Amino acid sequence: MRNVLWKEMRLSASVLSYLFILFGLMFFVPGYPILCGAFFVTLGLFHGFQAAREANDIVFSVLLPIAKRDVVKGKFLFVCLIESCAFLLMSIAVALRMTALSQAAVYRSNAMMNANFFALAMAFVIFGLFNWIFLCGFFKTAYKLGRPFVTFIIVCFLTIFVAESAHHVPGLEKLNAFGTDEIAIQLSALAAGIVIFLLITFFSYRSACRRFEKIDL
Amino acid sequence: MVIAEVRDLAKKYPSFELKSVSFALESGRIAGFIGRNGAGKTTTIKAMLNMIHPDGGTVHYFGQAFVDNEADVKRRIGYSTGTVSWYPRKKIRDIVDIVKRFYDTWDEAAYRKYLDLFAIDDTKTPLELSEGMKVKVNLMLALAHRAEVLILDEPTSGLDPFSRNELLNVFKELRDNGVTVFFSTHIITDIEKCADDIIYISKGRIVAAMPKADFIRQYSGPGESLEDTMLRLEGGAVNA
Repeated sequence: MRNVLWKEMRLSASVLSYLFILFGLMFFVPGYPILCGAFFVTLGLFHGFQAAREANDIVFSVLLPIAKRDVVKGKFLFVCLIESCAFLLMSIAVALRMTALSQAAVYRSNAMMNANFFALAMAFVIFGLFNWIFLCGFFKTAYKLGRPFVTFIIVCFLTIFVAESAHHVPGLEKLNAFGTDEIAIQLSALAAGIVIFLLITFFSYRSACRRFEKIDL
Repeated sequence: MVIAEVRDLAKKYPSFELKSVSFALESGRIAGFIGRNGAGKTTTIKAMLNMIHPDGGTVHYFGQAFVDNEADVKRRIGYSTGTVSWYPRKKIRDIVDIVKRFYDTWDEAAYRKYLDLFAIDDTKTPLELSEGMKVKVNLMLALAHRAEVLILDEPTSGLDPFSRNELLNVFKELRDNGVTVFFSTHIITDIEKCADDIIYISKGRIVAAMPKADFIRQYSGPGESLEDTMLRLEGGAVNA
């Protein structure tokens, strides 16, 4: 499996897939819907899939001495790797905004969603949605990228809208806690986000394997 | 010894049908898979590589069902196509560096040998190569992992006569070393020059699968060349 992942990183991936990881740092930006950073990370991945398709990557991969499901596994592993790297950057931003930068006026007066554990949880949900709608959708044909990505864009921005609006709903104000306030709720939200991501990704992978097994190349 | 066996392969498309395709490949022989464009050669080869799902039939290599032993079988076979190029903007050497990781049997000396023989500059990208050179690169990848069976889809297409001759000689050399070569072509002289067996497909149906000598005995008229025989047969098939 290490070889398949290495192949994804060296041959299939686009430079933008790596470069767009940096959008994870958008969690530092005040007065901005920071979850857009998660969307831009997926945009880099989408570009990588486009470039790979033009390079006949799927057929090349299928001809390697691996099972067809390993081709799917390689793609999922690579996507999860990029998402994890972005998540790491987001976590650094959250950690700094919750501690060393917690008194910064620019963050105290932030009108948008705070960079806290709930925001990280929602980034995980967005990545999970990408893995389900785009990645699993791609393996329905192994060449059509447009429809699954446009569907993902719509769902992603609806999710961002819901996440940004949530703390304005009476009773949900704690989701926008600042610093280490409401830490139990914050950690619960993060745990829920991680579980949702893992479940969605696992079932998407299984579904993608089944879909890819059925198609003719 | 039978090294690969295709049995009752069937695949129906709206405008084309592969009908109960059956043949066997013998170890250490060159089998030419001949048929006109659209006869079903590539569909058969894709089904032999699990790239398309046949509606019926089985493919066995080394006595194992391919679908149940995909990774193991792929390690022992080599595939090349003359029509597709991978990663057009990556250097050949970078592609090779990845491919060789997947094969325990990768033979660096053989790789160097075919690099020299085919005069391939591995610092170039596929985009910088002619169609003929792309065929050679694909073939080199298949040869360098010491495949026991080579499945080649139109490997001589796009090659100049000298390169084609060179390639056919490579096939013979491989055959002499015990490798089974199965190649599709619509160029009858390729079959004439190096095939031991002929598998002739027309309109999705296998017309003949037998040693070349038997084929000539059975189908050729007195003094008729293989090319004339094939043209006559194909003319009959077209008119049938």
